[in-house]
Amino acid sequence: MALDIKKVRNIGISAHIDSGKTTLTERILFYTKKIHKMHEVKGKDGIGATMDSMELERERGITISSAATNVTWENHTINIIDTPGHVDFTIEVERALRVLDGAILVLCSVGGVQSQTLTVDRQLKRYKVPCIAFINKLDRVGANPDKVISQLGEQLGRPTVVLEIPIGLEDQHQGVIDLVTMEAVYFEGNQGEIVRREPIPSELRTRAEKARQDLLDAASMFSEELTAAALEGRATQDQIIAAVRKATVARELTPVLMGSAYKNKGVQPLLDAVVRYLPDPSEIENFAFDLDQDGREIKLQSTPEAPTVALAFKLEESPYGQLTYIRIYQGRIVKGTELFNTRSKQKFRVGRLIRMHADSLEEIEEAGAGEISALFGIDCQSGDTFVAPGLNLAMSPIFVPEPVISLAVFPEEKRSSDRLSRALKRFAKEDPTFRSHVDPESKETIIQGMGELHLDVYIERMKREYGVALRTGMPQVAYRESISRRAEFDYVHKKQTGGAGQFGRVIGFIEPLAEKGYEFVNQVKGGRIPRDFIPACDKGFQAALKKGKLIGFPITGVRVTLTDGQAHEVDSSDLAFQAAAQGAFWKAYEAARPYALEPIMKLSVEGPAEFVGSVFASINQRRGIIISSSEDGMFARIDAEVPLSEMFGYSSVLRSLTQGKAEFTMEFLKYGRVPAPIAEKLIAKYQEKLRGSEGK
Amino acid sequence: MITEELVRKSPMRILENSMHGGLGKGKIGVLASRKGVGKTACLVHIAIDRLLQEKAVIHVSFSSRVDHIMTWYEHIFSEMAKNLGLESEPNLLDEIIKNRVIMNFSQKGTPTGQVLRSLEALIKNGRFPAETVIVDGFSFPQSSPDDLQKFRDLAERLGLEVWFSASLKKEDPLFDDRGNPYELECCLGQIDVLMTLQHRQEKVYLRLIKEHGIQSPVEVGLILDPKTLLLVET
Repeated sequence: MALDIKKVRNIGISAHIDSGKTTLTERILFYTKKIHKMHEVKGKDGIGATMDSMELERERGITISSAATNVTWENHTINIIDTPGHVDFTIEVERALRVLDGAILVLCSVGGVQSQTLTVDRQLKRYKVPCIAFINKLDRVGANPDKVISQLGEQLGRPTVVLEIPIGLEDQHQGVIDLVTMEAVYFEGNQGEIVRREPIPSELRTRAEKARQDLLDAASMFSEELTAAALEGRATQDQIIAAVRKATVARELTPVLMGSAYKNKGVQPLLDAVVRYLPDPSEIENFAFDLDQDGREIKLQSTPEAPTVALAFKLEESPYGQLTYIRIYQGRIVKGTELFNTRSKQKFRVGRLIRMHADSLEEIEEAGAGEISALFGIDCQSGDTFVAPGLNLAMSPIFVPEPVISLAVFPEEKRSSDRLSRALKRFAKEDPTFRSHVDPESKETIIQGMGELHLDVYIERMKREYGVALRTGMPQVAYRESISRRAEFDYVHKKQTGGAGQFGRVIGFIEPLAEKGYEFVNQVKGGRIPRDFIPACDKGFQAALKKGKLIGFPITGVRVTLTDGQAHEVDSSDLAFQAAAQGAFWKAYEAARPYALEPIMKLSVEGPAEFVGSVFASINQRRGIIISSSEDGMFARIDAEVPLSEMFGYSSVLRSLTQGKAEFTMEFLKYGRVPAPIAEKLIAKYQEKLRGSEGK
Repeated sequence: MITEELVRKSPMRILENSMHGGLGKGKIGVLASRKGVGKTACLVHIAIDRLLQEKAVIHVSFSSRVDHIMTWYEHIFSEMAKNLGLESEPNLLDEIIKNRVIMNFSQKGTPTGQVLRSLEALIKNGRFPAETVIVDGFSFPQSSPDDLQKFRDLAERLGLEVWFSASLKKEDPLFDDRGNPYELECCLGQIDVLMTLQHRQEKVYLRLIKEHGIQSPVEVGLILDPKTLLLVET
């Protein structure tokens, strides 16, 4: 049976690294009886929290994979999707966020809004994810939930509605007061599993009443019924819950709950809040791109009757084969039925359909719109869309950014090279921005990705999951070449060395082409070049583009127009015209004034305002362009555009400039022209390399 | 070519003529009007005019979000280009705004000291060669003449021309008989050039109230086109 969609919640748990996200997840799994033992995050007992299924995450205390797990609370199904927080994993982050209908934003009661909180908050806003806040670690020295609540308003611009106040803080922390029911809530038993509700202790009565009034004031804005009832002093729980729910789903208010996951306090009311206030999948609008209509967006119907649309948002290698996590947006998926993958254009039959817990599986017969489940043994890539045959929709744009950084890697032991290639193959399948190849000249294995940290994580994973220790070369920026003006060519390729000769002549011009990689225009009239040879010309030009002669990088932004040419009855061939095209291209290339391009990154630095001067200086020293700075009280954020080649090691530089108080995120923005003095160095280096290889 | 054309035909040339060559380094200019009349549009117009002359601009804002300000520049630039019958060239805008930095202070009442510290840090540490600073949304009622004087000191020290907008909020009459807004009377000593935007007969007129010490209210001969939000000749 597919589930009742009204009783499904797909949520993520977002947080700054040390806010206790994994501990909280662990407690949720425990209280929902998905696991029978609790562990601590950093593996004091050597087992580690259940949700972090990857070793590396366990060690670093961070979460990279977006494994999904399914729990039940108060007759509702909650799917918890683990969301990576760092921008270097853009594609993974975006996929995970698309799949969510709501989120818990975890904040540390001591640290409050931290730089990564801002990043995840921004992501939640960008994907319009309704949210509840959980202020964690009330047992810590320095816990100050009031401060965090005001930061939510001031720094994140989130109007809040506070649903709980603490009973004691730091080592006195005992529980919370539920302002909706006006009861004190205590968590007893060895692991806080017994929830005891009692009258509010007299010393907290006044504070609770004031907080309750604030809650009513905030919630009343969204319900006339509640306003009227509150004025007469007879607001009911249901009225309050309905009003807060409405405001939360509309993203007008962020409900605030609190506790200490580590001390097993406040987690069950948080689960209640997830069920009460976060939307079910039918309350969220989802769109797909119609590939038959130039990618026009169409709204999906989250009903089981409509034709199926599902997104494969995560692949995982499991001991039983490849596991594909899917989110169903429309219709339903039934075991044994046929689906169509709109990227690969392949039909496949649904074999095993599964509901996932972090480390165990439950086989099911069908799953409906709004649900998260997993398929076994499907050949696909992350981000593929599965639809009912007849539809041609894609859930995500097909566009995948080209990697901007590459690194040569060498296995420490020769024997591990098999495992290395298996690992590389799998990572590339999971993450389309991660690629690898063997350089034909140096025979080195090159991995490519979207940033330093992106590659670091995969190097670590290779070591941990595949036992392949790697040495690495220097990171290499993915430069490009392009041309700045039109240049003509008239080139004859001719070879007569006995036997069949080769002959091909091509005439035309190359010119700059904004925004596009390559375009080929055929204007040859009267069969001067026989039609059969035109594709060979195109192929020849494209072969030339693979590696430029300025700095040895691919050439982009070129239109080649073929206007005329000549063929020979006997000696002309595909091969001859390919060679002619390549020769012609190189002849024109120099005259077209080639130049070098480099990846420019969008950089955001966040930290205390006192450090803006140092950050400005560090950006300027890296040839960066400062776009804007925003200061909000003591907190500042600087946005800039910086060439990637200048950014290696920036994290340690920034740490020392700001006493570790600032953080940065970086993502690829565009290609920009390399300034002349630097380009000259690159050219000289490449020419030297060429001479070196000639000398060999 | 388009750049030269935009600069040559800009109504800013008329404005500069009426104030003997423009605001000038180390000087403070203020554009005052009621809210929503078009101050931001005018200041952005001035900023783009400077950017087209390859002069670096810092746009300080207190009230808006950074992306809103960027949109202002896009809008005004495309209207300027359209006005001259030129196709808006997105590349040209991309090129000139490399010389612009937006500094946004979103908390109400950010101390002037902090604003100036960051401004100076950008110019000195960030080596941003600013010549013009636009300050939009500065709260004159909440500030003292001292705050404005601090801006003036910085402008003199770093050779900046600084344009402020001042939002007039009091009841009518807004202006005294010499054209000075009552709300700015306390700071007139710190202001080198004072202009106002006034709504009359469905048109918004730009008036020059004071320039470089000379108090002589004149119509500049420019109005704000309500459709495009551009300054145009009357």
